[in-house]
Amino acid sequence: METVANLWLGLETALSFWNLAYCMIGVLLGTAIGVLPGLGPVATIAMLLPVTFGLPPVSALIMLAGIYYGAQYGGSTTAILVNLPGESSSVVTALDGYQMARQGKAGKALATAAIGSFFAGTVATILLAIFAPPLADLALKFGPAEYFSLMVLGLVASIVLAHGSLLHAFGMIILGLILGLIGTDVNSGMTRFTFDLPQMADGIGFVIVAMGVFGLGEIIGNLENESTRTVMLKSVTGLMPTRQDLKRIAAPVLRGTALGSMLGILPGGGAMLASFAAYTLEKKVSRHPEQFGKGAIEGVAGPESANNAGAQTSFIPMLTLGIPSNPVMALMIGAMIMQGIQPGPSVMTEQPVLFWGLIVSMWIGNLFLLVLNLPLIGLWVRMISVPYHFLYPAILVFCAIGVFSLNNATFDVYLMAIFGFLGYVFRKLDCEPAPMLLGFILGPMMEEHLRRAMLISKGDATVFLSRPISATMLVIALILLVTVLAPAVRRKREEAFQEEG
Amino acid sequence: MKALKLLSAVVLSAAVYAPSYAAGYPEKPVTVIVPFPAGGASDTTARVTTQKMQESLGQPIVVENKPGANGSLGAGQVAQAKPDGYTLMVASIGVYAINPALYKSLPYDPTKNFDLLTVAVRTPNVLVANPSFPANNVQELVAYLKKNPEKVTFASSGAGSSDHLTAALFWQKTGTTGVHVPYKGGAPAITDLIGGHADVSFQNLGAVSNHIKAGKLKLLAITSDKRNQSFPDAPTLKEAGVEGVEVYSWQAIAAPKGLPADVKGKLEQSLTAALNSPDVKTKFNDIGFEVVANTSGQFSEFLNQEISRWKTVVETGKITADQ
Repeated sequence: METVANLWLGLETALSFWNLAYCMIGVLLGTAIGVLPGLGPVATIAMLLPVTFGLPPVSALIMLAGIYYGAQYGGSTTAILVNLPGESSSVVTALDGYQMARQGKAGKALATAAIGSFFAGTVATILLAIFAPPLADLALKFGPAEYFSLMVLGLVASIVLAHGSLLHAFGMIILGLILGLIGTDVNSGMTRFTFDLPQMADGIGFVIVAMGVFGLGEIIGNLENESTRTVMLKSVTGLMPTRQDLKRIAAPVLRGTALGSMLGILPGGGAMLASFAAYTLEKKVSRHPEQFGKGAIEGVAGPESANNAGAQTSFIPMLTLGIPSNPVMALMIGAMIMQGIQPGPSVMTEQPVLFWGLIVSMWIGNLFLLVLNLPLIGLWVRMISVPYHFLYPAILVFCAIGVFSLNNATFDVYLMAIFGFLGYVFRKLDCEPAPMLLGFILGPMMEEHLRRAMLISKGDATVFLSRPISATMLVIALILLVTVLAPAVRRKREEAFQEEG
Repeated sequence: MKALKLLSAVVLSAAVYAPSYAAGYPEKPVTVIVPFPAGGASDTTARVTTQKMQESLGQPIVVENKPGANGSLGAGQVAQAKPDGYTLMVASIGVYAINPALYKSLPYDPTKNFDLLTVAVRTPNVLVANPSFPANNVQELVAYLKKNPEKVTFASSGAGSSDHLTAALFWQKTGTTGVHVPYKGGAPAITDLIGGHADVSFQNLGAVSNHIKAGKLKLLAITSDKRNQSFPDAPTLKEAGVEGVEVYSWQAIAAPKGLPADVKGKLEQSLTAALNSPDVKTKFNDIGFEVVANTSGQFSEFLNQEISRWKTVVETGKITADQ
């Protein structure tokens, strides 16, 4: 009963004219910056922070939250249309979404993303409303050992991401891991592989690598081979998914929502894994795994739902414990502090209007996004038909602005250019960049958690097996590894037998 | 002819007004560089302070975050900026006093490259533990550490952070040892402390006060010279029998070396007024910060003490964090 009263309070708050307006502004702005490659929510919220001082705290947070999940949403649009994932979560959306766009099914891919995201957002908001406190306690059960095992699971799963040669995927993951080592070692404070450049002391930013390898690499590739572009323009069929499509995406959306909601709660980078995990799961359970990477609609529906669900549930540790799960949440906490609200467990009891208003506004914001974006799909799709010699300079400029806005550093723009060239080389060598990016994200986190777990256990490695959550995940990783490798091994042996026979 | 007269009048009057206009610092927006990401303690200090300063200076003040390399990237850029009063810096104890002790080569020298303006705010560190940790006060903790050398985990917000060095100082003064577990920033360290994955930590009061009130963390002592009004029951370390671990985390404001005297005077005036205004004070107090607002002379003297103190801690503890 209390939940109903609380939700009512939230509804009253969120539906006030000004809060609705700020929610609308937030999601609009979020969508816009999400669509623009490279410009992310972190830079935008940092820039808008001073503006929010003048607003009441609820309105300020409603708007900032809108920017965050709006950007998650807009990011998938660029990933699908021009193969530019601006957020780590949209890397996998680009895999099949972009292929769908190349087959003239961009509208369908965008609609799938929109519907999946809305559904996931709704479920995650309900979860947030009912289960926030117990879920936050669950998140605290995750210590360094658990995170390490989770990352191992993620890394093993990432092999499944590849749809070409297993060896190439393996090589790219390792390359990603190595790139991730650049920067300051958390334990000793020593810098590694930075060539004494202070700009590299904090490592290379994810957006820089993603923009370079995916975005610029794609552009160079397209310019070299003009014919691949024209295929996309020939036939733009069916903007909206058919009834059959909807049937196909129902299960992936459900699974993605469940996975994303769970991983989003973990403050130590679980949300990052959500879309990767959902993609892996879909490919594993699909009856047509060979379609993945070639425009499978499930490959868009699952990860997009997971990513949006994760974006919503990542508010749980922030709102209930005052713990930021990612840089955006850290900024939101900064905004709360400026407003004189000390984030922590007391927010829920001392600021019920803020807490429930924000939660309800997130659902309303998701509704806005759906209503806003479904009609816009036609417009987005037409965007690809802009002549490429106009489109690519625009993309380049936005990439450069976006990357610059991260740290206000020109060095990062040059770095992106280098990765752009590398991305082109990878294309030539038939090496997919997605596994590399996953290695790049997971590598440093794995190392950090591994060494921290060992430090805390005083060098006792059995800690990974003696802690139940950690052990469970390692077992799943092992099973996954066997199922991935076994068919390959069997095939090899069969081939060998055939040759003998 | 008439037009020419008018024109000359305009030109003349412009010429007459020009000198007073040039002396009217600031005549364009002022940039404040924060060498850390948005949302952190330095950033908050900068934004709260400059919001008020804008009123007296009559120009917008833009906060620009230039994070990287423990703050030394942004600080290095400020050191090389033109000393015209249009580039200022708000940075932490780490940038001013700890980096010089830790790193052999820095792109700046805090005592030589800056015109120190004022220490804006400070906050004591508190010694907190997970509620299930066996020791309930400092004496018990010291006894426990002596009985279990190299066993108790001390979480910190990073290698070479102020809370890491406070822990090192604590070990040195009490003759104990522990395991230093660094994190990437204060937030994940506090998370693991609450979750019981790490045992104890020295954290900024503001960052943990809510967790203490909610009973998620156990407060053992405070590192200030006096007890804190929000937690009157918590003893200072000195009261608990540990001498010489009086530590504050502080945020200070500086400009590139060589500010014109009138610009410096105006900035100091505006800063003091802003920091001492009641609403700014309340805002800082709410997040556990105490306004210091000392003079540049006091700042410079204080800085020299801090640098030599942390240098000793780093050398005694053989702490390394060098490129």
